[in-house]
Amino acid sequence: MLSFARRHGAGYLFIVPFFALFLVFQLFPILWTFYISTQEWSGLGEPESVGLKNFRLLLTDPQFWDATANTLIYWVCGLVFILPLAMGISLLLNKRDLHGLRTFKTLTFLPYVCATVAIGLIFNIMFDTQQGLVNEVLGLVGLDQVGWLTTTTWSKVPVIVLNVWRHTPWFALILLGGLLNIPRDYYEAAKVDGAGAARTFWHITLPSLRPVLMFCMIMITVESWNIFAEPFIMRGPGTSNVSLFQYMYESSFRLFKYGYGAAIGVALTLILALVSIIQLFLMRKDADA
Amino acid sequence: MNISRRTLLGSSLLLGASAGLSACGGSKPSPDSPSTPDGGVFPPGKMIMYGYGQPQWLLEYYNPWLERHQDIAKGVTIDMVQNEGEAQARQKLIQAMSAQDYASAADVIQTSRVSLLDMAKNDILVDFTDYLSGIEDKLVPGALSDSAYDGKLYGLPDSVRPQLLFYNQDILDTYGIDAESLSTMDGYLEAGRKLKTDSKGAVQLSQIDPTTLAWRYWGRRGLLPQAGAQIWGDDGSVVFGDSEGTRKALGYLGTLQSEGHLFVTKMFQAPLYDAIKAGKIATFYIGAFFDEFLRGNVADMAGKWRAQPAPVFEDVGTAGAPVIGLFCAVKKPEGQYSALWQQLWNDFQFDAEARQTWTTKMVEENAPYANPIALDLLKDPFWKEPSDFYGGQSFRETEALGLQNSSANLRVTKDDAEADALISPELEKFIAGDQSIDDAIKNAHEALKSRISTTDPK
Repeated sequence: MLSFARRHGAGYLFIVPFFALFLVFQLFPILWTFYISTQEWSGLGEPESVGLKNFRLLLTDPQFWDATANTLIYWVCGLVFILPLAMGISLLLNKRDLHGLRTFKTLTFLPYVCATVAIGLIFNIMFDTQQGLVNEVLGLVGLDQVGWLTTTTWSKVPVIVLNVWRHTPWFALILLGGLLNIPRDYYEAAKVDGAGAARTFWHITLPSLRPVLMFCMIMITVESWNIFAEPFIMRGPGTSNVSLFQYMYESSFRLFKYGYGAAIGVALTLILALVSIIQLFLMRKDADA
Repeated sequence: MNISRRTLLGSSLLLGASAGLSACGGSKPSPDSPSTPDGGVFPPGKMIMYGYGQPQWLLEYYNPWLERHQDIAKGVTIDMVQNEGEAQARQKLIQAMSAQDYASAADVIQTSRVSLLDMAKNDILVDFTDYLSGIEDKLVPGALSDSAYDGKLYGLPDSVRPQLLFYNQDILDTYGIDAESLSTMDGYLEAGRKLKTDSKGAVQLSQIDPTTLAWRYWGRRGLLPQAGAQIWGDDGSVVFGDSEGTRKALGYLGTLQSEGHLFVTKMFQAPLYDAIKAGKIATFYIGAFFDEFLRGNVADMAGKWRAQPAPVFEDVGTAGAPVIGLFCAVKKPEGQYSALWQQLWNDFQFDAEARQTWTTKMVEENAPYANPIALDLLKDPFWKEPSDFYGGQSFRETEALGLQNSSANLRVTKDDAEADALISPELEKFIAGDQSIDDAIKNAHEALKSRISTTDPK
């Protein structure tokens, strides 16, 4: 034991700070959340044990299922729109001969550094049914007004647009980092062999970017399931665009049903764990291929 | 890791820590009732207030009051902590009390009846029963109706403001509508039809928020109390969908919406004020608090707007229900300012001269203010003075008038925040055109029954 400590003590000492913080600020709260999910508690007084009642309520709660379905849509739309757009932008930014590259880089990254709340308010104004800029433009091309934030059919669209608009630059930057790491020799060799732009992209760029793309997919997944500010600021009718995280927040901090909120948190954790495991499995399978 | 999860987990952690710490004894609990220190002089320090809305304007009264009372409050300052809303104020207090962080916990919290019930039940509020029961007859009727829990009085009402009808006089003149005809719900609906027809849809009778505020302003605080609706029966059972009043109130709203008399846009946002300025909305059926939003956001329309008591259902006959603003003192260990707060509140309500001085200042700064709730003060001609914004009409007098013949508010229980969260989405789906108003009532009723079933009717 003493010799083990002598041999490995320094290493363990180095990781102690992380694990101390992890235990106090992450592991204990997670365990506490699991405990609270079996209680009824308004934040004051003693929690009252209710067993699995909160989870039973979840299963029959249409608002919970609405929020889950909405979040699923945000996730799919995130993957479908953010990744291709980010890829397109990163390919543009990777062109060394692009005129005004620095200005373009700055402008591209601007949405990500803007405060979500402020932008959300502006989007609220833009997507207003009666007075909004978006409907004004639609009117100019002869289309009818759309109830972006006043109908359950359309209320997810502004949230998706804002989410894509905000996050695309970040992922473009990550992909640009990946592109810059691809040796130029590959492209020169491809050029010598007579490969066109499409074939070069398909056979060199994409395979080289695979690990970065996988990382982006995982990040988009985590961020999509944790989406909060966008639907919170641009709330639509009923639960038509409420996210799961938002529903957890509102159950806990608006209704003061901490037990129920914690149960939603547990459900969200399980969903995220499941999605992450599937993604990791696919990544591993892909790496083995 | 984002804020809400961190907050939840952090508060959980702090609660755990507090449970351990509380076992060790520690601070001396403050008395149940406000107590003045020996000699009547309060120790220097910070009286922390958690407020929401625009509470900073109250400091324009409180700070001069402290200046005038150096003999009892030398060195006392007020720290007004602005919160996004009632829930955030309560959340902050829960966290501070759980963590035993009494230095940053509120001495006084602005709150709502639902939160008052929970906080009083958990014994963290100062009991003002002796003081309030002695002055009840000096206050406007119903002023203490939200203050009670289990036979004791905890909430000091800051304001009692009625439901009113704000209307654009120019629009009514243009379309030949007499404001007097808007005093009944039938007349109000007829005015909407006339506006729609004569303006070819360019002007709508009123506005409705597509989200949660529709239920708050049109439902809970508006039509439901006026129609004598109920959410809970006397035994705490759900009677929402079975109540004749609910069907009358929401049926009326259903007619307004389905006939196209309501301009659908979010409350308190730029597009709403643009629509008001463009003359697209003729009236607002809403609480008197809306005065500050009109004056603040469409100041250039001074002279065009008027107000009168809310229209009544003729077969019910009572006007709008009042909305009561509440402040409670927190019973925190070593708390030393609840008696000072009581004195300050007392003067705010009963010191005519100081209240008038403050109100005049608010008018000059185009800031929010409400009528006092002391009957004697309201007799003063000052509270009948004309307002330029309302074209010479006295808004203060109108507000006082709106409190006469008022409807009783809906019964509020500890489960009403959740009830709102169940009813509101159904109403919102109706506004969005996804279901009929009858379905909205039925679905809300079923949701209440399956999720809450019965409540404590106290």
